[in-house]
Amino acid sequence: MSGPSVTSRAAAGGVKQRGFLMLRLENVTKVYDGGIVAVKDVNLDINKGEFVFLVGPSGSGKSTLIRLMMREEVPTNGDIWIAGKHASTMSPWKVPQLRRSIGTVFQDFKLLPNKTIFENVAFAMEVTGKSRSSINTQVPQVLKLVGLSALAERYPRSLSGGEQQRVSMARAFVNRPLILLADEPTGNLDPATSVGIMRILDRINRTGTTVVMATHDHAIVDAMRRRVVQLDRGRIARDESRGVYGGSGTIEGEPAVTTDTEMTAEDETTNPATAELEAAGDREDV
Amino acid sequence: MTRFAYSLREAFTNISRNGLVVLGAVLAVFVSLTLTFGTLVLGEIVKVNTLQWSEDVRVSVYLRDDVSPSGINDLQAEMEAWEEVDEVFFLSKAASLDEARILLANRPAALRVIEEDPSIVPASLRIKPVDAADYQTIVTRAEAMPGTLRVESAGEVIDGMISLRDGLQIMSLFLAVALGAAAVALIANTIHMAIYSRREEIEIMNLVGASNWFVRTPFLLEGAIEGFIGAGLAVAVVVAGMRLARRQLTDLPDWINIGIQSDYLYRAGALVLLFGVVAGLVGSGLSLAVHKYLKT
Repeated sequence: MSGPSVTSRAAAGGVKQRGFLMLRLENVTKVYDGGIVAVKDVNLDINKGEFVFLVGPSGSGKSTLIRLMMREEVPTNGDIWIAGKHASTMSPWKVPQLRRSIGTVFQDFKLLPNKTIFENVAFAMEVTGKSRSSINTQVPQVLKLVGLSALAERYPRSLSGGEQQRVSMARAFVNRPLILLADEPTGNLDPATSVGIMRILDRINRTGTTVVMATHDHAIVDAMRRRVVQLDRGRIARDESRGVYGGSGTIEGEPAVTTDTEMTAEDETTNPATAELEAAGDREDV
Repeated sequence: MTRFAYSLREAFTNISRNGLVVLGAVLAVFVSLTLTFGTLVLGEIVKVNTLQWSEDVRVSVYLRDDVSPSGINDLQAEMEAWEEVDEVFFLSKAASLDEARILLANRPAALRVIEEDPSIVPASLRIKPVDAADYQTIVTRAEAMPGTLRVESAGEVIDGMISLRDGLQIMSLFLAVALGAAAVALIANTIHMAIYSRREEIEIMNLVGASNWFVRTPFLLEGAIEGFIGAGLAVAVVVAGMRLARRQLTDLPDWINIGIQSDYLYRAGALVLLFGVVAGLVGSGLSLAVHKYLKT
């Protein structure tokens, strides 16, 4: 496999600058117990400030790639650098420090039911040793960013799915991570709610945070027109700088391989999410 | 809030969440350490009562005050030459006084007599026979020696107490190991349950980069607290039991002395508390080492 794809931003500058690299995967292979090959020989560079979609059918290796990027897994072969740290050879005791530069969002929100919304977000600061005063200033700010200031004292069970996901994003972002990894963040949400989630991810991305999102959601990918990395049976099948879910945009570095036939976008025009997202994408508010 | 305060608060939250399981573990520590501590104290009582007969001494030859130091040396050398004698130790008047104070601890009248005139406590030669059964021969020969004030020998009762002392030492060691292991296992179990009930919090802590110690300290503290409470109860019960025994058992025969040094009681008590805390730490440490939610 030749060198990793160049992002639109780097391409405009004409050179690929190593200093901007936020994530680098080099010949990464992950084999699980029982010989299941989840990721095979993946090379991928993601620069600071990029927004990258990981797409592909179930079992194509998206989640494994996310877990490798947060150092929840170590590769069987190959090397991974996360925020400048050589994560694949890092000692387990250094992982917590690395995690502080990574925010994570999951399909199932992972909120603590016995804590209020405020406490759930504050938890991420408490357990990393932040002072009470910085917690009291940061948490309201982040809750405002995700539009949940009014619900701060409520408990997760009284919130809708979309609101709960916004809480989990606030928690992921409250420590100002360099990288935000989202694994199917809209997987449990209806299209209209998903738009709100994507708008927040977009806002977070505009603060300079690198966002990598694994998703099945055609409408979102097609509307956002960001870099798309398509996986197929553990390999990178496509890497486009301003791609769509099914694949047809400009392909850089890699020949267009679109094996993902059953999952191509079928309803670009009718999905309300698409229209709203496009509108959101045009606005420049942060 | 400091990290320690945070860990302590979380530890108490864990304890209150799993009340019954924690109670079980604390009671296990309590029972095991009460038995162990009780045996230690009993052993000490026997030891005090057989102090005179430690080091396998079976015959004490008390010396008249008019025997000169060189005379004592000659006596010691002569006795050591006897074929039934293994060793002879010399106990000066000062050392004998210290011993008498311990032996007579619960006989205030006798104690008062020696405190009024410490010089009445004689120096002595302590004889260790080659074969413990031979002491009668040694007594007869020693009584005939010049300078001998009085000869005492360890009778059957003392032999019995000495073997009881040895038995108690072995038993307390066995109890400490077996029951200690049970207590550690039960504490490990409570910590296991505490970790399980907090698995979601632990997962999130790991995700946001809480340090390994930050995640683990509350559980270690929880184990230590449980061990400390169990050990504290054990110490309280044994100390109270000793007080009660001293007050109630006033008409024991003279040769039984239950007035062991309170010094010993507190020293051993502190050791038992420490043991409880260590057992708690070991139990929680074991649990933390094997728990899959804590793998990084």
